Amino acid sequence: MIELHGLSFAYPGGEYQLDIARLTIAAGETVAITGPSGIGKTTLLHLLAGILVPQAGTILANGHPLSGATDAARRRFRLRHIGMIFQEFELIDYLNVRDNLLLPYRLSAVLKLEQQVRQQAEQLAHAAGIGTHLERNVAQLSQGERQRVAVCRALLPRPGLILADEPSGNLDPANTDRILDLIFQQAAQSGASFVCITHERHFLNRFDRVLDFADFARSGA
Amino acid sequence: MKAHSINCFSLIAVISLIGCSGRESGPPAEAAQVKVYAVNYPLAYFAERIGGGAVEVVLPEIEGDPAFWQPEPDDLTGFQGAGKILVNGAGYAKWLDYVSLPQSKLVHTSSAFKNQYIEISGAPMHSHGDGEAHAHGELAFTTWLDPMLAIEQAAAIDAALALPESGFEALKSDLLALDQSLAAAFTRLSGQALIGSHPVYQYLQRRYDLNLRSLHWEPDMMPDEAMWQELQALRRTHPSKILLWESEPLAGIKARLDAMGIQSVVFDPCGNRPEQGDYLAVMRANVARIESIQLD
Amino acid sequence: MIDILQLACKYLRFNWIKTSIVVVAIALILFLPAALDLLVRHGATSLLTRAAGTPLVLGAQGSPLELVLNSQYFETKPPPEITYSEVARIEQTSLATAIPIYNRFRAGGWPIVGTNLDYYPWRSLELAQGRYPLMIGECVLGADAAKELSVQIGAHVISSPEELFDFAGSYPLRMEVVGILKSTGAADDRAIFTDIKTVWIIAGLAHGHEDVTQAPDDDGTILRREGSRTITNASTMTYNVIHAGNRASYHLHGKIEDLPLTAVLALPHDPRAGALLRGKYLRADESMQMIVPTTVIESLLGTMFRLREYLLLGSALAVFSTLSTTSLVFFLALRLRQREIETMHRIGLPRTRVLGLLATEIAIVIAAAVALALIFSIVFSRYVDLIMLEILT
Repeated sequence: MIELHGLSFAYPGGEYQLDIARLTIAAGETVAITGPSGIGKTTLLHLLAGILVPQAGTILANGHPLSGATDAARRRFRLRHIGMIFQEFELIDYLNVRDNLLLPYRLSAVLKLEQQVRQQAEQLAHAAGIGTHLERNVAQLSQGERQRVAVCRALLPRPGLILADEPSGNLDPANTDRILDLIFQQAAQSGASFVCITHERHFLNRFDRVLDFADFARSGA
Repeated sequence: MKAHSINCFSLIAVISLIGCSGRESGPPAEAAQVKVYAVNYPLAYFAERIGGGAVEVVLPEIEGDPAFWQPEPDDLTGFQGAGKILVNGAGYAKWLDYVSLPQSKLVHTSSAFKNQYIEISGAPMHSHGDGEAHAHGELAFTTWLDPMLAIEQAAAIDAALALPESGFEALKSDLLALDQSLAAAFTRLSGQALIGSHPVYQYLQRRYDLNLRSLHWEPDMMPDEAMWQELQALRRTHPSKILLWESEPLAGIKARLDAMGIQSVVFDPCGNRPEQGDYLAVMRANVARIESIQLD
Repeated sequence: MIDILQLACKYLRFNWIKTSIVVVAIALILFLPAALDLLVRHGATSLLTRAAGTPLVLGAQGSPLELVLNSQYFETKPPPEITYSEVARIEQTSLATAIPIYNRFRAGGWPIVGTNLDYYPWRSLELAQGRYPLMIGECVLGADAAKELSVQIGAHVISSPEELFDFAGSYPLRMEVVGILKSTGAADDRAIFTDIKTVWIIAGLAHGHEDVTQAPDDDGTILRREGSRTITNASTMTYNVIHAGNRASYHLHGKIEDLPLTAVLALPHDPRAGALLRGKYLRADESMQMIVPTTVIESLLGTMFRLREYLLLGSALAVFSTLSTTSLVFFLALRLRQREIETMHRIGLPRTRVLGLLATEIAIVIAAAVALALIFSIVFSRYVDLIMLEILT
């Protein structure tokens, strides 16, 4: 469960300000957030992930105050409990698919790289239709394949919160459906909350709740 | 009784001590022998007389005249390990021109009298490619036949060996005596025309002022008619009745020479080790044969 | 740790061109001062050791350095010639042993050094195979020359003409390899040694008479024999061959005293004898020079060490410049990877691990550069003598 109270955030320079009085996402709830570009949807996602820290207000994740934690504590929490799917995939180009999936396990002490995890990675990759590409370098993959790698990386730790920023932004409808199927399936299996930023209308009906950004947040210069 | 026992014991003790000290002061260990190689027998003989037991003198087993030995590589390996290598000089042993020997071990026994080398005129002319015909200066090399030069060669060997005990003076004395004997023997032949079977007597000729001309005959080969005619022609200007041979000529040659009134006399240059005797014995036998030449 | 290493290697391998360039650049800036130091120090030690082993060298008046280098290293151009009479001149003093050196010709690119049998024990040159030359036309090879020419005992090497169409001058001579010397790590490894008379034959100063009827069938000149007739092929006059049939016919063209040498090595019997011998060559009208190689080399090294300081300063500037450029390359690479680093932060990877990954990449590059610099140095040290010689000549 994620709760935001009296949140106020501004980027250095003060040219953008985001205020959210209250926002609650229940455990296992799937929420789509829509709104025009540049309004602050990605900023909200980064605040929920603990990447950004608000100047005022609180962010509680399952009752733990995320906003007041140290950078290291937020990173640990993010690694273990949050799966981020970035709009531009954010893959490591010089690694292959398997290395990209296992990167969080190989460079942190929070996630233990066990044989079971390796098997889960392979199963997830097969489920996503990229099981035969595990040894291929991600730079050699198509857009859709790269997005699926990004999704698998986010889902592998079985996070309690899945945050997706425009997951369909660079994909065709068929691939978009495939990815959303995978996310919804994994979220349902693990009881994870799923917050998705999107401007695509045709799959909004799959979410438990659709929020318009302007309904709960004020933002602008 | 007790005093007697003590005296006996003392005597035994003293004798034992003398015996021990005698054993401790036994014959001294022999100094290492110097290995000396020589290119001809006279030099080997001189080295043996000079060095005695302090040297091991090696003259390679050579058939025929050592001056014309053509060694193979296997023959030369011993030379490389020699302490000293005695060379005659004056162009003796042409094989030295095409072999490699440790120069620091070479003893040039005649270098002290290089200016007294006898040059042979009439060496064969030849040319290289289109170059002019020329002859290389040939030298007479039987230097030891002049006992005075032999002494100088022995002196060079003595200096090179530098032994604490040397037999040089005794050898020198023998060579001086030989010189006197040869001088006396050849004085009898003063003015007599002599012929040498081979041009090997140049130093003898010079030393004893001999009236000698040479042929190119071998004692073991019957000369052909041209060579007999050459002898005849020579005798017209050089009426000799004595022909000196390096070794005993064939009976047929001797007989024909006898018929011509020419005595065959062996004067062995002794370039190689004799089957019997030594250098001095051979020279003394030469002297005896010269003395026994019958004159008219 | 192993994960960080593996990931770092993957990055470096993915960007292998950039990695290679950086590694080579750093290796070169590490190697440059090391090479300079190696050249001067090791080269100096090597030169001094070789010079110290040769008490005195006699040669024609001229450059003492040229004389020393030619008589010690055989690779430089020959100095003005002297005559063999200088050997006797030294020996007559009874002050020293004289070893002639005639270094003018080459075979297969390797210098032919004419000398005598005294040279080998003096230089402590031992045989690995075979024997020392005993006859004209025979040679022994230094270890490196034998290896590079791929010759064994019984093989042959042919001397090269000094000029392409030098028909009137030196004539190629086919020499039989009778020995191969043990490696010494010195210039003797890179030479072909033969008797001085053999080199005079090459120079056309000694001749033999070719008797093809006595030539062995395998000497390359015989086409076929028909009864008493011997028919030779066109190679008959390609090079001289000395064999048992014609060896005895070889004779020097002129007196040995007049034949040429490039140097005479004088080995005094004791220091006093050495001083006395040197004194004999100090007259103003003396046409020869008797030099102490150590003195010549020390003078040279003094100049070199002074030069070295300037060169080190120069190389320090080059090092600074390259280090600055390399640092810029690393910095720019990091900027290019900012997005990747940001991704790792966003995923939640600890800052220390990310920094550790970057640091490991740099460490691997530096380690590889150090290893490459070491390899450069090892290879360089093997040829430092030749390089030093090349610089000096």
